[in-house]
Amino acid sequence: MNDDDISVESRLQELGPSDSINVVQLLKQEDQEIEAKLGLDSGILDVHRTIKEHPGLEKRVGAILDKFYPRERSQSHTERYEEDIDDIYDVEEHREKSDVTKKDMGSAKDVVPPENFSHIVGEIYRSSFPRPENFPFLQNSIKLKSIMVLFPEEYPQENLDFMSKAGIKLFQIGMSGNKEPFVNIPSDLLTSALEVAINPENHPILIHCNRGKHRTGCLVGCIRRLQNWSLTMIFDEYRRFAFPKARALDQQFIEMYDEDKIKQIAKEKNWLPIKW
Amino acid sequence: MVYIPPLNFAPVVSTEVSLYRSGYPMPLNYPFIADQLQLKTVIYVGDKDVSEDYRGFLESQNIVYEFVHVESCRDANINEQMKQVLLKILDKRNYPILIHSNKGKHRVGVVVGIIRKLLQGWSTTGIYQEYDIFSGGLKGGVDLEFITMFETDLNVTRESVPDFVKLQDKTSRHEEKPEGAASQLVS
Repeated sequence: MNDDDISVESRLQELGPSDSINVVQLLKQEDQEIEAKLGLDSGILDVHRTIKEHPGLEKRVGAILDKFYPRERSQSHTERYEEDIDDIYDVEEHREKSDVTKKDMGSAKDVVPPENFSHIVGEIYRSSFPRPENFPFLQNSIKLKSIMVLFPEEYPQENLDFMSKAGIKLFQIGMSGNKEPFVNIPSDLLTSALEVAINPENHPILIHCNRGKHRTGCLVGCIRRLQNWSLTMIFDEYRRFAFPKARALDQQFIEMYDEDKIKQIAKEKNWLPIKW
Repeated sequence: MVYIPPLNFAPVVSTEVSLYRSGYPMPLNYPFIADQLQLKTVIYVGDKDVSEDYRGFLESQNIVYEFVHVESCRDANINEQMKQVLLKILDKRNYPILIHSNKGKHRVGVVVGIIRKLLQGWSTTGIYQEYDIFSGGLKGGVDLEFITMFETDLNVTRESVPDFVKLQDKTSRHEEKPEGAASQLVS
């Protein structure tokens, strides 16, 4: 044990067990000292910040907290952005739809694309959440190499099983769904998503969220900006796939997205222009 | 340079060949087509004579222009017209191809639906959804019925058919799909 450890311990003892706010402050101070000592970026040891910035982690921590503090948590829920019903992945709903599709499938040879499936450019594809009946299509017809999912929830096991069998790589970029007017898509997340999407090493790639409307639509809009499309036609395409739930603020996001960083990355790696 | 794709533009097939769909290309769209798509063939399924602008543009780009006169899928000789379109699509020497109508909704929607069904074996649900995305869910009943009912026989040589096409062989045809198949093969 070195001197620092002793000093923290003794300081904690001075504060006493009831003084929880001071304990937190003391721990934070301690983190900062360690960061300074090791030359790390400030805040890197801050657990709260790490949890907040990782939507998947935030949800999981939330679930644990719910078990212990049910009432307090439900109050703090009102502060969080509301999610559009379309943006929430619902296992039951997907299962029901799968059952209907299986019943309707005329011939076993049919290839069943996922809902809202389409080509974007080259071997970049978009769709809603792929279900088991779509797996043969993804594996045999478009011969996927990667799938990028744009939500923070855990990916269903049956999809993971299929992907490992078919040798498909999963990229997960945890954008949370939003409901207008609280549309909040972090630009950095979108930039990292674009970096995956336009990298030819990952092609053929399928990009999807839950319905393939909003989050996927925003990403596709930004791909179109990298292709120098006019905004009118970008929005026309956005609305076609988001119909009847197009959001003005998603389109605003596409318009406001700062493409400098991704353009710089793409130029360095020689990814532009994106091949048709 | 800002590029303006034609109305309802989208890739339909992007394998070793490229097939695109759209509405009627207007002068504003020419730079997009010329710089980005490197087309070899344009197929117009529609009812208008080619405009002066458009003819000049296509000639300057050495793009082959194929006009298939189609008013709607209720035309008397629609089966012949569809065959004519399919024969172009089944020949890989014609690619990259842009197939367009006026707004890129209904007539092109029917052609794409038939490609999805006969050449790629898509499920009906998938075909209907794609049609709806591009038509905005308008007046689709007759078109969708046509796509569902349409069957044809074509003679094509195997070597010229692009890879994305899954043809039924003449031999297997009678065993597996007695109600009519996408194509016959003559090698």
